[in-house]
Formats: sequence, structure tokens, C-alpha cells
Amino acid sequence: MKLSYNWLCEYVDVRDVTPEQLAARLTQAGIEVEGVAPRSRVRGVVVAEVTACQPHPHADRLQVCTVHAGVHGTHSVVCGARNVRPGMRAALALPGAELPGQRIERAVIRGVRSEGMLCSAAELGLEVRLLPKEQTEGLYPLPDDAPLGEEVSAYLGLDDVVLDLSLTPNRSDCLSLRGLAYEVGALFNRPVHMPQPSDPAGLGPSPLQVRLDSPLCSRYEAQVLCGLTPRPSPLWLQMRLLASGIRPINLIVDVTNYVMLEWGQPLHAFDGDEVQEQTIVVRQARPGERLVTLDGVERTLDEDVLVIADSARAIGIAGVMGGENSEVRASTRTIVLESASFDAVSVRRTGQRLGLRSEAQQRFEKGIDPLAVRAALLRAADLLCSLGGAQRVGSWVMAGSSPEAPDQVIPFSPRAANQLLGTEVDPAEMAEVLHRLGFGVQQTAADQWLVHVPSRRPDVSMAADLAEEVARVLGYDRIPSTPLQGAATAGVRTPLQRLRKRTREVLTGLGLTEVFTYALTHPAALDALRLPADAPDRRQVTLLLPMSEERSALRTRLLPSLAQVAQYNLARGVTGGQVFEIARVYLPHKVPVTEQPAEPEYWAGLWFGSTEPSVWERPRPYDFYDAKGAVESWLEALGLLEQAEFRPALSPWLHPGRSAEVWLGDTRVGSLGELHPETADRLETGSAVYAEFALDPVLACLSERWRVTRLPRYPAVRRDLAVVVAHQVSAAALLQAAYRAAAAAGEEENLLADCRVFDVYTGRGIPAGHKSVAVALTFRSAERTLTDTQVQAVEAQILRQWHEQFGAVLRAEA
Amino acid sequence: MQAHDVEQKVDQLATAAMQRLQAADDAHSLEEWRVAYLGKKSELSQILRQLGQLPAEERPRVGDAVNRARQQLQAAYAARKQALAEAEQQRRFADEAVDVTLPGRRTPRGALHPLVRTMYEIEEIFLGMGFSIAEGPEVETDEYNFEKLNLPKDHPARDMQDTFYITDTLLLRTHTSPMQVRTMERMRPLAPVKVVVPGRVYRRDEDDATHSHAFNQVEGLVVDRGVRMSDLKGVLEQFARAMFGPDQAVRLRPSFFPFTEPSAEVDVRCIQCGGTGCRVCKETGWIEILGAGMVHPRVLDGAGYDSREFSGFAFGMGVERIAMLKYGIEDIRQFYQNDLRLLRQFARAW
Repeated sequence: MKLSYNWLCEYVDVRDVTPEQLAARLTQAGIEVEGVAPRSRVRGVVVAEVTACQPHPHADRLQVCTVHAGVHGTHSVVCGARNVRPGMRAALALPGAELPGQRIERAVIRGVRSEGMLCSAAELGLEVRLLPKEQTEGLYPLPDDAPLGEEVSAYLGLDDVVLDLSLTPNRSDCLSLRGLAYEVGALFNRPVHMPQPSDPAGLGPSPLQVRLDSPLCSRYEAQVLCGLTPRPSPLWLQMRLLASGIRPINLIVDVTNYVMLEWGQPLHAFDGDEVQEQTIVVRQARPGERLVTLDGVERTLDEDVLVIADSARAIGIAGVMGGENSEVRASTRTIVLESASFDAVSVRRTGQRLGLRSEAQQRFEKGIDPLAVRAALLRAADLLCSLGGAQRVGSWVMAGSSPEAPDQVIPFSPRAANQLLGTEVDPAEMAEVLHRLGFGVQQTAADQWLVHVPSRRPDVSMAADLAEEVARVLGYDRIPSTPLQGAATAGVRTPLQRLRKRTREVLTGLGLTEVFTYALTHPAALDALRLPADAPDRRQVTLLLPMSEERSALRTRLLPSLAQVAQYNLARGVTGGQVFEIARVYLPHKVPVTEQPAEPEYWAGLWFGSTEPSVWERPRPYDFYDAKGAVESWLEALGLLEQAEFRPALSPWLHPGRSAEVWLGDTRVGSLGELHPETADRLETGSAVYAEFALDPVLACLSERWRVTRLPRYPAVRRDLAVVVAHQVSAAALLQAAYRAAAAAGEEENLLADCRVFDVYTGRGIPAGHKSVAVALTFRSAERTLTDTQVQAVEAQILRQWHEQFGAVLRAEA
Repeated sequence: MQAHDVEQKVDQLATAAMQRLQAADDAHSLEEWRVAYLGKKSELSQILRQLGQLPAEERPRVGDAVNRARQQLQAAYAARKQALAEAEQQRRFADEAVDVTLPGRRTPRGALHPLVRTMYEIEEIFLGMGFSIAEGPEVETDEYNFEKLNLPKDHPARDMQDTFYITDTLLLRTHTSPMQVRTMERMRPLAPVKVVVPGRVYRRDEDDATHSHAFNQVEGLVVDRGVRMSDLKGVLEQFARAMFGPDQAVRLRPSFFPFTEPSAEVDVRCIQCGGTGCRVCKETGWIEILGAGMVHPRVLDGAGYDSREFSGFAFGMGVERIAMLKYGIEDIRQFYQNDLRLLRQFARAW
């Protein structure tokens, strides 16, 4: 909403308050002012008449004009405008004049002296976007009765300041000068004077009949006027509309807009002679009914649309847009002025469906003041009579409920308001604020008031609203800061929140960098994962009206998002990285989606490109074991490494020979592996390793309680064995076999305390298809110091087991 | 053999030995010197052995002289040996010296994403004030996202948030506020309710430098008997001081949210200029960081807390906005581009 400062001052006198101060006070009270700008800055520009035009002696397109500017005398001005002609009145910038962005001086143009400049609309700083072409091309023509010599700034109201208000949707009252005048009056404690529309008696009945056939219109009023043809509005009225951001059209339309701005009540004017049988019916449209609206678009309507109709056909869409069939034209002799109260939801829905969003519609959908329906109608009739010479044909006609909307009465306790706000405002001060707002205050008992809220403030409906009114008018600065009272509470994270946080700590500690990616993705992003057509991953939650295909489906897997991060960074010269994200995926229970999907949380990591080059270590591509190391560290940090089992896995997007899934007992918690070359290719990541783990199943395996393992009392004996086995024998299999053999060998206790691979070798000296695996065995007894003989006995058992099971031979013997 | 001659010879020997010692500049020549002057076959040893040939009354005097000379040479030898050892060690150190300006052997450090880092900072502050953390679904129902928050269907206030719909009744939550209702429904009739709710939210906005179709919020909710708007201000002031510095202040401005009454927009002193006015705060000295208010009686009643008995406050802040202000990030899209050159800067622990 654009608010003209000068216009406002007509209803509430705040001329002693600068527009900036006014803006600050309004903002402080919740009417946010986004901008304060002078309408234009023009000085030294006066109304002048062109008395003669001579061709410029040295330039084809220029003319030398003799211009008379009343008390400012006669001047010779060089002008290039096409529309300049003797007899026209225009704005003359005298030497020394200031215009937006320029200063005018005497000048010699192509050898001819020019004592000033004749101005265009743009040069004057007028709202050219709202003006018709004939007023923006060439000189801005002034009316023939414009007083010669008068300052144009005052004449056109350019010396105004426009406040740009960003209104919250509850303050429909502030979509009008009237509402704003009351607001400003309350804030500055000033009286408000609104023009009192006249309601002449003795006009006789209206020729029009009105019938309401739908509950979506609670009241419809109309006034018939004659003796009026479309003509331009007086300049002052046009200027007010321009300052308010509304395009002037002709007197009839302009007056309806002007009164809408003044009273907040949308009005519509249409051709009375087009109303068949002089009957207006407000009804829901018939299915398939068609109407060409004022914008020239033919619209097909249905029962959800409320229309204004005559006895035969629709002539307008209620509250949204009039019909072309009843448009006011040059030939119009009789007009009908309409002022009504249409259902807010109906108007909103209709506007949304038709893709229209008029000023009228915005006011209807936010709620109008029922008391303004009649007043606005009378005011508009007054203006059309006084400005356009119109005559009323009969009195107004009305259908629907009585206009006397009762005030809303709200029980209010000043003590409760103070308690809610945490303030100690004197009840007398509260009463004063409410009075200033135009609310009636009636005390019924100690600390019990009844507050009468006028119908222009539908947003105030309960005690909390009144508390806000008091607080905002006094200023929120009156609210102190107090410490929170009440029972003490412990702020602790839930187990899932802790798991997530620990996971982040572990992974960042390992050198992984966290990323954050969009959950809305392209459905085709999954194609790179080589998923079968019926894969559950492809069942996605999709948007009804996405902004783009790119962001139309909620992801079911994190890999494409991480791949995009890799791709983005590789394209910018980053040579590699280890990244992870902790995020949800969205898994519908069924498609099409009818209920909220599951939103399980995962952490996913991607190792792409090469390690960071350094003095101490040559860069190398990240591989499976980088990812596995991180996964193991993570599991170890959660106390789950011992029980975790890595099994070869088959995920379509992973390299079948270089991927594993991780099991905790009977639960598969995640997988990791090198990307399938085809996937890597399509995702443009280069070779990369991906891991993903679901947090919920891991959470179920976590134990809050753990105790340290007691330190051993007897020394350990370490033996290293290198054995040659076939390539496909897994390390895990060797280690398991060792434990089993040792367990079988020991009588009371398993002497093999620890057993791990410390080297794997292939190459010279090792037969093809084989590898040498070096295993460190740690033997220890909880009872005594072991002897060589005891250790050798177990070691021999292990070697025998390995040989029997895998054909393993000691490397020395190989 | 005359005692006098012997004494003279000892003197000469000592003088010569002391001179020669200066020439011994490594362990080997020092050892040769020791053998020559202090060894069993050295002249001093021989003189000592021949002492018996002197008259008895002269023996002690000459013996003393010889011993003094020996002691002198032994002390000089020890000093020389130590000096040589020290010099040798110095040489070795010089040879072993490393270039201390070469980089150390480091394991790369990872970094939390700035949004997560900021969310954690916010969470820590509220955890410290006794709030717990709740989380809720991102795919929400119209009922929880709007209706139970006093935003009935076809209410014009719905225009404040353009919504991604999935079906007529399912949508991507436009704010974390539905968790106000979900939390109250879960907690009722217990009091106090004190939670913050971090999470992703979605708006049907074109992505540009200051808008994003997806962003993060942290919602806060306190419900108890006798909760006042001044408590809201107090809590937010504590938050602002912990988050942005001890001399922070907050300012409340009236605003409108359908689910709070009274409602406020909350400003803190400009982080950039400290309140004197700059480009970031548009010369006002204040920057808006969140919306807040007293929980609307209809929302309280609808969620099972009788508004005649309970009151509460709620607030919601945009994590991106706070992170942008705090770290000087100028384009919201950078959070989602994940340029490692930016993200790695957040490896800083302080």
C-alpha cells in the first residue's frame, strides 16, 4: 500500500510530523514502512503556454518555441518534442530549475539560445508506468485551464511524500486512507476528520431491483446515476491515484478507485442500460456459463464462482472483475455504482482460480468494514455528482442484511493483559490507548472491562488482541526482559541426536568435510544408480507443482546429491575430497502418496579424486580402504567394531568386487564400496568410493553402558606368521580360522588373545593367483606366563587349520 | 741427577705439553697427547719412577712438583676433551638440522557444514537454558502446518508462505511451527514445555542470493503457567548475548503471525557495525533475526493446553540468515553449492 502523506494530512493533521518520523512511528507500531520517498523533486518549474513555434534554423527535429509563463514572463525555448504546438500548456523548467537528476540552465542549442526546458512526464518524475502513451511521449500536456506561472510541483502535487507500507495480512483496515488515518490518529493522539458523504432525501425509489440468490453475498447496494459520460478526472484526483500507484482511466473508474483507497471498500461501476429488466441478481454461476471479463479474456465459470447478473446473463464476477458486456463506454448514459459485501473465501478462491489479483479482490479476501459499504457508495455518488455533473436516479437500493454491524464486544482484564505482557501498565493508560484507537471501554467490575471494537478492525477479536493493541501503541519497548520462571528442566539431547552429533565428530575428526544438499531432486538423478525399473528407490514423493523438474521429487538416496558435490568441486579445480552428509531420505509407504512418508536418516560419505598432495605423502586416488577405515573408526567410536561384519555386497551402483555391506548381528546397517564404473561415469565423479549407513538401526545396537577391560597381569607373546593362500581367501576367514583353532587347542582358555593382518603381499616369489598374508598373533594367558612350548603348540594348530582349510603354506616354505 | 734439573725439566715438560694440547683438535690426537704426556711411558711417569735416585730430603719437593704438573695436565686434558666433545656434538647437530619451515605431517581436518555448525551453536545455547530438542516430519499435513496454527484453508495469511503441495492434504512444511502443536500434543498435560526444533523447511520461492526453496529454521516453544511476553524478551536477550556477544540487546517490533498473539519481529544490534549504522543494517543499527510471539490462545487450546490456565511463547529463526550474518556469507546459495574451498574454512574450531 502506497500512502500519500499530503492526502493523509487531509484526514488527520500531522503536518508537524515529518514523513520520516511518521514512518518510524508506524513501523514501531507494526505498520512496517519499507520506504519513504518524495513523489518527485521539482523546483523552479512553472505552468506555461506555448504561444509560437518556429523551426530551428540548424536542426530539423528541433523547434524554437515562444513560451509565456504568466508572472515569469515570456521565454524562448528550444524543444525537440513532437507534440509541441502553439496553444498547448506544459511545464516549463526555468533557468536554475531543479528536476530529478538534473538542473536546468540557460543554454545555446545548435546556435540558438534556450531559456529553460519544456518537460516530459519522465523529466517531471511522474509515474510514467501508469500513464497512457500520449502523456509520456513528448511534452507532458497540462490542462488548458492550468494557471499560468504556477509552480508545477504544487499544481501536480509532486511535493508529496509517499510511504510504502508493507502490511501484514491481518491489517485489512490499513488498506485505506480511513484506516490509516485512525491508526495515525491513535499513534499521535490526533482527531480524525473523514468526509461525511451526503444521503439526500426525497429521491424516490431506485429504478433498479436487486436480488441475492447466494449466501456468499451478505449485502449488495447500488446507486443509479445519469448525465455522465466518460471523461478524464480532474488532475488532482489523477495525481492522487498516481501517487497511490493506481492508473487513472476516466472519471467514473477513477472515482471508484479513489473511494476504494479512501474507504477500503471496493466499488464497481457498470453500464446501467445493459442491465436487462433493470434487475440485478447476485448468484453462483451456472456450470459452463461463460463471461468475457474486462481484460478481454473469455472465462468459463461454475457454481463456485459468484457472479453479478441481470435477469438473463452474468455481467461481472463478484469482487474480482467486471464483465465486458456491461463495461462503461463512451456511449454510456446511465451507470450503476455497486458497493457490496462478498464472501472473503469465495472471492479469494475465484481470484486464485482465474489467476487474477485485483486491488478489490485483495480487500475482499482480507475482510472489509460492513459500515463502509453504504458510506463508500454515497461518497462515490457525491464525487461523481460534484466532479462530473452526474445526477442520482432515485435513491440507493439495497439487498441483504442490515448495514448496522454491531461492534465486537470483548471482555478484558487489565491485570491479565499486564500478566501476559509482563508489564505494569496503569489501567488508565490502557483505557486511553483503547480510546485513541476508537475502541469503547466500559468498566463492569474491578479489573473487568467490556471493550467495544469498531467494525473496521475485524482483526481484533479477543483479549490477547487487545493486549497487543495496548502494547504496540505504547511501544514494545515498554515490555521489560525477565528471566524465565517455573520448574527447572534439564536440556539434554536424545540418543538419536547424540548419535548424529558423535557421528559428525568422528567423521570430521577423520578429515571428512560435511556438506548440506537439497532434498528436492530430479527424478532422473536415480538413473545413474543402475536401478531396475521397479526398484523401491524409484517410488518417490513428488510435488504437485514443482518450480522445475530439477527440484520435483524428494530423494530416496543420498548418492546423487553427494556426487553432485564431487562434480561441482572437480569442475573447480579441487583435486579430491572426502565429504559426508547426514540427512533424511523420504520413503513413501505406497505410491501414489496418500500419507506422510517414512523419513529415515542416513549418513553418507563420498571419497572422490585423490588425496591431498603433501611433502610427506604422494597423492593417490582414494580407494575402498579409505572408506572402510572411516567406517571402522566410526564403528569403533560407537563400540560396535567388534561385532560388525563386513560381507561382500551387491548394490547396483557399486563395483561388485569392491563393495561390502555391514551387518550388526542380524541387521544390515549400511554398505560401502567403489562406485560402479557406469555409475561413476554417469555421475561424472571419476572413480570414487561411497558409503551409506542408516542411523536408526545403529541406534538400536548401541549400549549406554560399557566397562573397561581389565589390564592383563601376565606378559603376551607375539608371533608373526606369513602364509601363502589363494587370492580369494579373505582375511576375515583366516582370522576366524585362527581363533577357532586356538580355541580348540587350549584346554581351559583360548590363548590367542589377538590376531590381525599386518601385511598382504603379491609379486615376486608368490605363485600367480596367490598372496602372502602376514598375521600377527598375540598369545596370552590370564593365569600364568606362557612358555615357548605352550605357544608353539597353539601356533602349530593354527597352521594346521589354515593348511587344511585354505591350503595355506608358510611363506618360507612356499 | 740434580733436583734442580729435574724441577726445571718438569716445568719445561708441562709448558710444552700445554702448548701441544692446543693442537689436539680431535679425539685421536687428544689420545696421542694423553699417551705422550700422561701415559705410563710418558716422561712425567719416568721422572716419577726415577724419583728414588734423588736424595731423600729432596724427594718430597720434587715429587710435589711432578704431581702438580700432572694434575695440571690432567685438568687441561679433561677440559680439552669436553670442549672437543661439545664441538663434535655441535657439528653433528648442524648436520642433523631439519628445515623447520617445511609443513608438518598432518592428518587433514574435516569441518562441520556452516549451517550445522550454526544450528549446533543455537542448540547449545538453548540446551544450556534447559530446553530439549525436538524434531518432526518435513512432509507435513495441511492440518499441522496450517490449520492447527490458526491458519484455516483460504486464509489470506497463507499467502505469506508459498507452499509446495504433494497432495491436497500433504505438503512440505513451510516452517518448523507445526512442531509447536506436535510437541504440545505429545507433552500434554505436562508443564513446562521447553523445546527448540531445528529442521529443514521449504517455500515455493525462486532461488536467488537471498531466497532459497529450502532452508533451515530453529523453532522455540515454551508453555507453562504464567509465561509472559517479557520472559520471551529475556530468553531472546540471553540467546542474542550468547550468540552474538555480551553487549547485545534485542528490540521487539509489533508484527503478525496467525499463531501468535501478540506477535513480534525481533532485532539484534547490527553484528557488522555494532549499532552505528552500516550497509548490512541499512543504516538502522538493527537487524531482524527472528519472528516471535505469545502462543495464540486458539493454538494452545487446540493442542490441549487450556489457554485460561497456560500461556506460552514461540519463536522461529532462519539458520541461513544467522550464519550469513555471523560468517559474512553473502549468497544463500553458497550453503548448498558445497564448494570445498568455502567449507574447509569451517575447520576452524574457534
